[in-house]
Amino acid sequence: MPAVFTVDPRSGVPLYLQLIEQVKRAVALGALGAGEQLPTVKALALDLTINPNTVARVYRELEREGVIETSPGRGSFVRQDGMPSARRSVDDVAERALAEAIREARSLGLGRAALEALVARLIDRWFPPADPQESSTL
Amino acid sequence: MISIHGFSKQYGDVSAVSDLSLEVERGSICGLLGPNGAGKTTTFKCLLGFARPTSGTILIDGKPLEPATFERLSYVPERMALYEWMRVRDLIELQRRSFKHFDARRASDLIALFRLDPQKRVKRLSKGQQTAVAIVLAFSIAPSLLILDEPASGLDPIFQRVVIDLMIDAAANGATILFSSHQITQVERAADHVAILRGGKLVLDGHVDALKSSEKIVEAIFDHAVPPVDGLATDIRVRRVERSGRILRAYVHAGSDDIARRLEELGPRSVTVLDLNLEDIFLNAVEAEHIALPQGVLQ
Repeated sequence: MPAVFTVDPRSGVPLYLQLIEQVKRAVALGALGAGEQLPTVKALALDLTINPNTVARVYRELEREGVIETSPGRGSFVRQDGMPSARRSVDDVAERALAEAIREARSLGLGRAALEALVARLIDRWFPPADPQESSTL
Repeated sequence: MISIHGFSKQYGDVSAVSDLSLEVERGSICGLLGPNGAGKTTTFKCLLGFARPTSGTILIDGKPLEPATFERLSYVPERMALYEWMRVRDLIELQRRSFKHFDARRASDLIALFRLDPQKRVKRLSKGQQTAVAIVLAFSIAPSLLILDEPASGLDPIFQRVVIDLMIDAAANGATILFSSHQITQVERAADHVAILRGGKLVLDGHVDALKSSEKIVEAIFDHAVPPVDGLATDIRVRRVERSGRILRAYVHAGSDDIARRLEELGPRSVTVLDLNLEDIFLNAVEAEHIALPQGVLQ
């Protein structure tokens, strides 16, 4: 199996939502390529030690959202055009995570100005601003 | 498929189970949870025909229990009832002669998997090994119905996982499984459906993922004392409300987003919807109070 999924059954987040997000992430990032076959429901259920109906539900949902397709007797595959829709969902995940972080910061008493400064600083850490001297030589 | 409708069982004046209705679909694994004495074992006994319901009906695949049902039914009781003087291999042989669909090859594979010695007498086995023997017998008849009462008791975490894998494999092949366990993490993994009993009554029944989606705590933190919230405590979606100082917590079983929006209108510093895992949901459903250790017990 090309992608290894991990789920946390003890979490309060429903298992099927965890697994849907994991598969979409793998597709969006290319870890699962277009046309690639997914494990059977039973194989993935045994691999993760989770209920097979949960896995079956995940596959149905991913099929409905246009990420994978299932042909009877052959198995489930990542759709040729599966990446854009997985990409959109992963962007949604990013938005939700950021919204959650902002809400948390506000509940800890951070004001708007302090929060904007914090976000700017964190963005700079992960996306260092281009060195002005270097860009002038280009 | 198991269909239980309006099932009650009285022992004299004592009501062990009252008005229980529960369906377990084919291919589904249902975890039956409840404190000791909640009625789980009584339900199993009546399901298997060892005791007669006082009222209500219990159907297997749409029919009352009949001899043929037992060809494909495996039951692992909480307390093992194995012939102690027999060797493991004698028990396997007994099972082979008793069940039409017994798979000897699978039995020997499972014996090896659980590292059991077929020559050993049952009375010389540890509690965990006896559980393992019962599991081997249960899963060697290609069961279409499995009733498992605490199926992993006495097993180490590695073999507990093997038991869950066997259940997953059986369910994926279409078996219907009803099991009880005090180990909620096992239920959280194996079950798609849980039923929670308390004092003989069904207090919660649903799909694990659906329960996790709907059972939430909505927590609001205010800058000052918590203001009065009209109708919150009587809202049918709210199980109970806790207030302490500037914090309000509403335990809800539906509509958490809507209740969060209502609290948001009161201008709190923050409103958070907290997820609950199955253990939290179970404890809330049986309203088990946290039993604090008394001073004398604390070290």
